[in-house]
Amino acid sequence: MTDPIVAEQLTKTYSNGTKAVQGISFSVRSGEAFGFLGPNGAGKTTTVSMLSAGLAPTSGRGMVGGLDIARDASKIKRRIGIVFQESTADGDLTGRENLEVSAALYGLPRREARRRTEELLQRMELAEAADRLVKTYSGGMRRRLELGVGIVHSPPILFLDEPTLGLDPQGRAGFWRYIRGLRSEHGLTVFLTTHYLDEADQLCDRIAIVDHGQIVATGTPAELKDKVGGDVVTIRPVPGAADPSAVLRALPGALSVQPQDGTVRLKCESGERMVPLAVEACARAGVGVAGVSVQRPSLDEVFLQFTGREYREEEGPTATDRAVRIQRLQERRR
Amino acid sequence: MLRELAALTRRELLRIARNPAAIFTGLLIPILYLLLFGQGFNLSSLSGLSGGAGGAEASLALREALLGAPSYFSYFAVGMVGFVAVTATLFTGANVIFDKLFGIFKRIAGSPAPSSAVFGSRLLAGAAQPILLALFVLGMAVGLAHIRGLNGLIVTAHVTVLGALEILLAIALLSFMFTSLFLSMGFILEQPQTYFAAVNALNLPVLFTSDALYPWGTMPLWLRNIATFNPVTLAVNTMRENLFPRSAYPFPPEVYLAGLAAWTAFMFGVAILLVRRTLGPRE
Ligand SMILES: Nc1ncnc2c1ncn2[C@@H]1O[C@H](COP(=O)(O)OP(=O)(O)OP(=O)(O)O)[C@@H](O)[C@H]1O
Ligand SMILES: [Mg+2]
Repeated sequence: MTDPIVAEQLTKTYSNGTKAVQGISFSVRSGEAFGFLGPNGAGKTTTVSMLSAGLAPTSGRGMVGGLDIARDASKIKRRIGIVFQESTADGDLTGRENLEVSAALYGLPRREARRRTEELLQRMELAEAADRLVKTYSGGMRRRLELGVGIVHSPPILFLDEPTLGLDPQGRAGFWRYIRGLRSEHGLTVFLTTHYLDEADQLCDRIAIVDHGQIVATGTPAELKDKVGGDVVTIRPVPGAADPSAVLRALPGALSVQPQDGTVRLKCESGERMVPLAVEACARAGVGVAGVSVQRPSLDEVFLQFTGREYREEEGPTATDRAVRIQRLQERRR
Repeated sequence: MLRELAALTRRELLRIARNPAAIFTGLLIPILYLLLFGQGFNLSSLSGLSGGAGGAEASLALREALLGAPSYFSYFAVGMVGFVAVTATLFTGANVIFDKLFGIFKRIAGSPAPSSAVFGSRLLAGAAQPILLALFVLGMAVGLAHIRGLNGLIVTAHVTVLGALEILLAIALLSFMFTSLFLSMGFILEQPQTYFAAVNALNLPVLFTSDALYPWGTMPLWLRNIATFNPVTLAVNTMRENLFPRSAYPFPPEVYLAGLAAWTAFMFGVAILLVRRTLGPRE
């Protein structure tokens, strides 16, 4: 069977000449959570729009659920769920009404739509606010409703475009819980975009780092960190023991060794492999070891490594700005 | 398709019910015309052709000019019944634009709901208002005739069942036509400001190039030529022929109805094309 999401040299140049996506290729396996990690303006939303059959690619090919995005738009729309970056719920309707209308848009029979609505209201912890107009919802409640609306028809493939944008840490952790729950229950295939490094790290089986419309690196979070080659093994000798720096420096795989505040920091490619070697070397040299710890590099460092830049905010109006602008407009209208 | 249509229509109706102020704005213009303009502007006495006391009843010559209507008010009140189809549908397209701006359309476009359901729901909910309001204005104009000292609509023909149906059909077709027109504008335009400017630019010309306000004979020939094809004229003529003696009209009401139906079908087609474009993949 083909993978549920495949992109081959997908390219989008907007009519104003902006090259938003420049020849992106990847595939997402069944049941996998695949993350698109990149700064503002990297082309994440543009990619999601093309794969969800909402935006025509300039060139290249996309297959979703085995169907061609250029030819089978309406069939694809039945099979996928989307949580858009911006709010799409109807502020003049209640949360319950929003879910019911969305269920009907996917052709669910009335009774089934009601049942599913109740289930999702419970699941998204919106049962109490179910009959309030959505324009009175907080940002977190709105995001939860968006997720509910996105999965109302139980799609096997789910696109999440910066699903936790604007949520506080608690709200984000809660959101991650829902996604993990959905995945473990239904074996959902997830395509997620985010500019939160920890989100990609927490939720995704594999990550593609995108910048300026191109994929600069792909791999599991661990692989990407490995590529940075920057695990740090910190060794704490027992008090009064000799300095083990020279011994450690001689070990195969040791990149650099630095004494620091009574400990020794050893940079290496794989901390896991290095720990037993280092402990053994210390023992042979007669240095007692009081403690060892391994630190993985963060994705911040990964990003820096692959783009040569700090993780940064792009100038110019991006989807995030637009979303914020629209939210303001809505607030003014109320 | 029916499930989607029902759900989307329910949504539209819920929104209308939650914002009843919008209904009254659609009513305001025709009511002002009936209560102020229609009472103050009295062509019958103005022209000195007045027959009866107070000028409520027009003389034979004026009746001829009014194509059989017994008074100017009677003539123009029917015009207002038609014009409601314009004033009460003005904002249907604005809602489309706001839905596009607020992402609601994105949600709909991302779903597999057929475009016919998306258009149909807005058409049904949008046209329901002007149809009801037009009937209200018609009733009100007739009611005014029974209040002493006020001008009102005097029905001088025997209204048959078929005639009543034709009046209803004229109101419905006209409402569907203008709802489709304003929805189309909503699908094309992206900014509410542009939409309101366009709608305002359209509103009065539609009124003034129809025979809703002026007796046919007072128009210069060029205006008459335009007015003949104005959908408001076609609807209003259908109604007048069934409310007043019809001898003054060159065609039976069915001819005007057919012309109106052609307009409505044309605007349907345009709107369907545009809604498809709006829901399909963007370029
Ligand atoms: N409709 C459009 N017309 C022209 N340019 C656009 C359009 N939409 C997006 N762009 C541009 O394309 C580029 C990629 O935008 P996109 O929204 O895909 O980025 P993103 O990665 O989703 O950013 P964010 O994190 O802010 O959501 C940006 O430079 C943006 O300004
Ligand atoms: Mg985006």
